[in-house]
Amino acid sequence: MGDRLRAAVPSILSVALALAVCWVAIALTRDMKVAGEAYLQMLYGGIGQWPRFLETGDAALLARPLGEAAGKAALLILTGLSVAVAFKAGLFNIGAQGQMVVGAVAAAVVGAQLTAPSVVHIPLAILAAAVTGAAWALIAAALKLWRGVHEVISTIMLNWVAVSLVDNWLAVGPLRAVATGGHSVAGTAEIHPSAQFPRLLGDISRLNLGFVVALAVALLVWVWLTRTRQGFETQAAGLGPEAARAAGISVKQRAAEAMALSGALAGMAGAVLVLGTEYRYPGALAAPYGFDGIAIALIGNNNPLGATVTALFFGILRAGGTRMQLLGVHKSFPELIQGLALLFVAGRLVWLALLKRRRAQPASTEVPRA
Amino acid sequence: MSLEIGAGELLALVGENGAGKSSLMNVLYGLYHPDSGEILLDGKPIRFKSPRDAIARGIGMVHQHFMLVPTLTVAENVVLGREPRRWGRMDLERANAEVAATCQRFGFQLDPRARVDTLTVGSQQKVEIVKALHRGAKVLILDEPTAVLTPQEAEDLFRVARGLKEQGHTVVFISHKLREVLSVAERIAVMRRGKLVAEVRAAESSASALANLMVGEARSGDAGVEPYHPPTGAVVLSAMDLKVRVEDGGTALNGVTLEVHAGEIVGIAGVDGNGQRELAEVLTGLRPLESGQGTLLGKPLANLTPHEARRRGVSHVPEDRLRRAVVKGMSVEENVALGRQGQPPFARGPWLDFKGRRERTARLLGAYDVRPPDPLLPVQALSGGNQQKVVVARELDAEPKLLVVVQPTRGLDISAVAQVHSRLREERAKGVGVLLISLDLEEVLTMADRVYVLFEGRVTGTFTRPEFDEREIGRRMLGTGPGHG
Repeated sequence: MGDRLRAAVPSILSVALALAVCWVAIALTRDMKVAGEAYLQMLYGGIGQWPRFLETGDAALLARPLGEAAGKAALLILTGLSVAVAFKAGLFNIGAQGQMVVGAVAAAVVGAQLTAPSVVHIPLAILAAAVTGAAWALIAAALKLWRGVHEVISTIMLNWVAVSLVDNWLAVGPLRAVATGGHSVAGTAEIHPSAQFPRLLGDISRLNLGFVVALAVALLVWVWLTRTRQGFETQAAGLGPEAARAAGISVKQRAAEAMALSGALAGMAGAVLVLGTEYRYPGALAAPYGFDGIAIALIGNNNPLGATVTALFFGILRAGGTRMQLLGVHKSFPELIQGLALLFVAGRLVWLALLKRRRAQPASTEVPRA
Repeated sequence: MSLEIGAGELLALVGENGAGKSSLMNVLYGLYHPDSGEILLDGKPIRFKSPRDAIARGIGMVHQHFMLVPTLTVAENVVLGREPRRWGRMDLERANAEVAATCQRFGFQLDPRARVDTLTVGSQQKVEIVKALHRGAKVLILDEPTAVLTPQEAEDLFRVARGLKEQGHTVVFISHKLREVLSVAERIAVMRRGKLVAEVRAAESSASALANLMVGEARSGDAGVEPYHPPTGAVVLSAMDLKVRVEDGGTALNGVTLEVHAGEIVGIAGVDGNGQRELAEVLTGLRPLESGQGTLLGKPLANLTPHEARRRGVSHVPEDRLRRAVVKGMSVEENVALGRQGQPPFARGPWLDFKGRRERTARLLGAYDVRPPDPLLPVQALSGGNQQKVVVARELDAEPKLLVVVQPTRGLDISAVAQVHSRLREERAKGVGVLLISLDLEEVLTMADRVYVLFEGRVTGTFTRPEFDEREIGRRMLGTGPGHG
């Protein structure tokens, strides 16, 4: 446990530094009072308005913000896991966005076209999203394993293919919702209530089953990666492909499986969005959750638990961002914080190298090239 | 520690790995800085800030791993960093002439226009020496210079060293090959644990005396001549006319036929890059066979996968440890599980067995004297010798029937070498067929019961222990035996 905490230190420092930099940015453009107030409001928007709750005893003051935070966190957990799992197998999946889009559409189709009791309908819709996301990711895996196409290139391109296919054709063409009562709706038809995630706290909060699903999936992924033979082999294949191959591990197979799982997780993020909050494919994703997944995974050290904690934290900030607007501070500050934290985490290697250099004398046994 | 080196002297510096030989020389070469103490050159104290200073004062170093640009010519490599210029561009003609003059002066036969990657290892080493001399080196430090050479090439190097000494240069050999040290050096300095423990005249010493000084206890290196062990069992590997095509710059196998029996150590001798790596890869399923037949532990050799090879009972200690034997970033115990990650005691069904893994690892670390014996340490935190012990422990713990070991003792110190060698002998005694592929001919000759010599992907000689002839084997290694004019 000690080691695990130590591994988290650079990430925590990076996030703290990002928070500080953004605070200074607000303080410089407005003043320190606004900056402090904005951060306080961001916190209230994410974890609940505790002072007013304690005054009035109105549970909704807590439940509503927490529900929003949980909804955002669920999406970030799943896309973060998606990127982290691929990374563990030595693959950089930039395609979580596209995989999420196709997954969301699949969930929307199953949710709207099928009728079944909830206990069947919801798992079926999630499964459809996972399978579609996995299939989309496997295109990139196949291109890599058989044709040697780098997955960064292919997944970026497949993002565009997915968005074009879904937003520019399916959602406005074959799957477009039939206009009812004269006014047209954007996106696909609304899903049946039997496919909608139940709200866990009733109408006072949008907290729904999606959050529970995301947490459960995170736990399963962590168990798979760290406790099973297959997870071990996947990590070995990612860290040392040649040594893994010599140890009799089918590196290609493990890579393809990891990519499929990565796509499935991104697809499930799409399902959580559609079944939990949108109830349809909305014509276009409101935010680049798939790309956020890259930041979440990297800040979370590509570890399923680390990514989950990171996603929870940024889910809170994201939900609170809207409350910052009350003070005239732009709501995109949480994204700015996330971006800066990623930047600082990426700089971690530089920090470590600098620290090492100072500590170790002589610098290294490596001999400079003549 | 203190050490004096006289002008025009041939000095050898010997000691186990980690005894401080390389550190000492790196201090002299300006790569490391001494915490205390001073260096006197021609009686005057000096401080080298970097190798540049050392070179300017006439100290040159030839590293074990050459620092040459393979795609440049000999002359380009020699003048690199201080090229003669004309009109702001490199004057290649002058470089060629200068380098030719240097070669002539010191009696090297090198074509300045030849590309370095077309040269043999021995010639590349000469390029390194010429490079140092061209920069005005009066003191030449050679770090493990014969590790990669054939006996003939090594002889040649010794001749060069003696020639340099005649011309008033000082040559320092760093080595742990005692026999050659005794034959080439005049004075031998022995280091142990960062201290100079003895200085002896070569003429008055012997290999066993030196080994005792190096190791410090009555724990000497190889004791005497190995007796011949005839094979004790059936054929575990028989290969006929193996052919392999390579696309990535390696050497093809052009029809290799060999046999390994249970209970014998079969050595493969050869200069680096004559098909040894490819042979090991074929036998462990890492490289597909183009043609040829063979039987490996009772089943065909064709279409072997690494997984299948392990299943049949092949263990492999590969040459490229950090790339192929261990996974950097994983712990020692995870690396111990590698290869058997799905079997007890490392797994129970689809689940990893942490407890079984920890126990087995702890036991192996103790039995193989791995230091520090910490199963949780990242494997790259161990020294090279201890990493190798982990790899050997893992591969032998799998209870193989055929053991393919490549360069198992490269870069290891004497006691680690002795441990690896005695483990291999134990495996032989247990009835394991051992295929030992090594570039170190001395190792092959001390260990093997039978030797195949590999040259350009073909077997150019087969020898059985009573009739080992080092010179003849050396000739076959260079393809100059009978029938290979």
